Amino acid sequence: MKNPRFVVGLVGVAAVVSYLMWTGVNDSMVYYMTPAELLERIEADPAFGDIGVKVSGRVVEGTWERSPGPAHEFRVADLEDSSVVFSVRYEDVVPDTFNDRAEVVLEGKFDAEGVFEARTVLTKCGSRYEAAKEDLAT
Amino acid sequence: MTALGEVALWIALPIALWGTVLSFAGGRAARPEFVLSGERTAYALTFLLLLASAGIVAAFVGERYEYWYVASYSNRELDTYFKVAGLWAGQRGSLVFWTLLLSVFSSIAVFQNRRRNREFMPYVTGTLLAMLSFLLVVLLFADVNPFERLGFTPANGRGLNPQLQNYWMTIHPPTLYLGFTAFAVPFAFAVAALLTGRLDSRWIAVTRRWTLLSWFFLTNGIIFGMRWAYEELGWGGYWFWDPVENASLLPWLTATAFVHSVQIQENRGMLKVWNMGLVAATFLLTIFATFLTRSGLIESVHSFAENLKIAYIFLGFLGTVAAVFAVLVVYRLPLLRGENHIQSFLSRESAFLFNNLLFVGIAFAVAWGTLYPLFTEGFFGQKINVGPPYYNRVNIPAGLVLLALTGIGPVIAWRRASRRNLRRNFVLPVAAAAVVAGALAGIGVRHWAALATFAISAFVMTVVVVEFVKGTGARARISGEGRSRSLFNLVRRNRRRWGGYVVHAGVVVVFTGFAGSAFDVAVTQELAPGESLSVRSAFGHEYVLTYESLSHSRPRSGARPRENDWRWTALVTVRRDGERVAVMRPERRFYPVMDESSTEVGIRSTAFEDLYVIPRDVDLDGGEDRVVFEAKVLPLVPWIWYGGMVVAAGALISLWPAGAAGTRGAARPPASALAAGRAA
Repeated sequence: MKNPRFVVGLVGVAAVVSYLMWTGVNDSMVYYMTPAELLERIEADPAFGDIGVKVSGRVVEGTWERSPGPAHEFRVADLEDSSVVFSVRYEDVVPDTFNDRAEVVLEGKFDAEGVFEARTVLTKCGSRYEAAKEDLAT
Repeated sequence: MTALGEVALWIALPIALWGTVLSFAGGRAARPEFVLSGERTAYALTFLLLLASAGIVAAFVGERYEYWYVASYSNRELDTYFKVAGLWAGQRGSLVFWTLLLSVFSSIAVFQNRRRNREFMPYVTGTLLAMLSFLLVVLLFADVNPFERLGFTPANGRGLNPQLQNYWMTIHPPTLYLGFTAFAVPFAFAVAALLTGRLDSRWIAVTRRWTLLSWFFLTNGIIFGMRWAYEELGWGGYWFWDPVENASLLPWLTATAFVHSVQIQENRGMLKVWNMGLVAATFLLTIFATFLTRSGLIESVHSFAENLKIAYIFLGFLGTVAAVFAVLVVYRLPLLRGENHIQSFLSRESAFLFNNLLFVGIAFAVAWGTLYPLFTEGFFGQKINVGPPYYNRVNIPAGLVLLALTGIGPVIAWRRASRRNLRRNFVLPVAAAAVVAGALAGIGVRHWAALATFAISAFVMTVVVVEFVKGTGARARISGEGRSRSLFNLVRRNRRRWGGYVVHAGVVVVFTGFAGSAFDVAVTQELAPGESLSVRSAFGHEYVLTYESLSHSRPRSGARPRENDWRWTALVTVRRDGERVAVMRPERRFYPVMDESSTEVGIRSTAFEDLYVIPRDVDLDGGEDRVVFEAKVLPLVPWIWYGGMVVAAGALISLWPAGAAGTRGAARPPASALAAGRAA
């Protein structure tokens, strides 16, 4: 490491990678919240509803029916506090593993009527999903 | 069989612990009988874990739904093939499988080295057995015992997630696990080198093939995973920068850095501490990947935050191993001093060093993005995610520089490259790159990253081809052999070098395939039977897809139709430039028991592009037969799979045992000379 040109090269690479990481984070970061956190935040600061966020929760059973066509409405509840619920509209085809009990991650924002306009809907992959004992009893 | 497997797991733990203690004690006290006993423990564990794994497989095949794990991941209708794969379908079985593979590799390593590396072996065995003990403790005490009973027997199991019922998904996890577990062997030798103080390149030379074997499996495992995502997830991509994908990429990145940096240590006696760091980082990342995939520390489409106990156990283990290893390295620092300095910026050492810096930099950036939600939650109380644009921003430029280095590194001179060396090796490749870049820009390609990829690919490919031509020519002149004969012998005499070139050529093909995504086209349209849609590919071909009809079916299990597998199959005929070339049967499946659907896309692959047809929306009640189709033409995607095969072939050439193919005898220096060469 005696060679100064070398040190410049190493520092240069580190600097460029750091710079790209920094701008990359700033350009693609998105808040990732639970419904409880999101709704609390919006209550404190209504403008927060206009910012795009990712929110995870569970689809409320009975609020969605399998139907063809790219327009879906359903309600999503907080995973821990099922009394925290909000409505979602999604104008695209839902993922294969979507159903009315699915754990989902939505990306989008609230519209003027307080409905969450989802841009993307992801369902959690089942590779680690273990059936609850009660579910297996039936 | 299953009861026996459960007992085997319980017997394995005390044996593993006992073997760990015996091995380390035997090494310290120089008691060969202890060491021998420790080594036999490894064989015994392999036998016990085979019994445990067989027990799980038997429970799957025998439809023993009183076991929670079996009931969660299979049902009676499942093909036997997928029942057997149930062993690694979920967390519990995966951990047993992981442990089995580790015990098998431990036994092989012990058997292979029991006479050759006596001074290392007690500690190598001890380290591997300690690792096995840890996994057995997790299996038995962290609520993940695969033999846990439900307390009642359901009439049927829940079935396997439809997305996992795919050929690539059955071989992707085991391949990855083979790569993860094989890397424990180099790590164990590194620990042994630190403990014994024998810190020359011996431990690296001994584990060279293990490292390459691990790398071979990791690479294939990742590519199989991409292939699964491409065929099964039905969105036309193969990589999403999902935390679980990233977790498997991280050890691959550091392992690739390690494969290169050890060559500097072997040739120039430099980077000893760095190599220790890389071997430990890679090993820890393989554990981290397993744990992340199967636990749920980070919110991901793959994982659930259910079992936090296992998260704490794994993190505690990772922290302990890292701390102990760091202490050992610091303790041995005087022995780890480099024997040389880098003399010139333009040298192979320098190229390799930048290669390492970039691999580690990419690994750092990927880890940063993956763990970003955790950092921000920890420090600011708010989870923040970063998406694919973040990863692309960092990794595309870094990846392109690395790609260029795959051409520069192998042919630039050690120590200090002369002007003559540079001119001789690089004039033609640079010219090739310029021609390709100019030609593509000339026909209107403006996507800078794709343009750069194609140009750099031309550069690297030219370097590799020229090397092969020169090497073969020189050998043919000297030996008087024919061309193909001398090519064969050339490669055989220095597998590592020429295998490495083949890997680099494969990497070029893979990167070219990635760059193809810059020219993807997609059309989405709702069609009634008889209607058509058309899509024009980047290569100018016009595809016209006609939706002919929709049919409904229920596959049979034996005599009766399956209750949990309904299929709607669309019949689509494909015309390419007016000529009828294919009939596709993309499909939507519905699994009423799970209330989930799945999509089987239609893929028509040609040498240069894939036509990818997704039945996006089908009325599963059967009332309507209108279907929303999305048709994509994805240029060069097949090249990723071809390139992956070339990479795998190159890795195999490199790691193939030199003695096996008849290089015995005169061509091989006597063992004493080898040892002297290594010590020098």
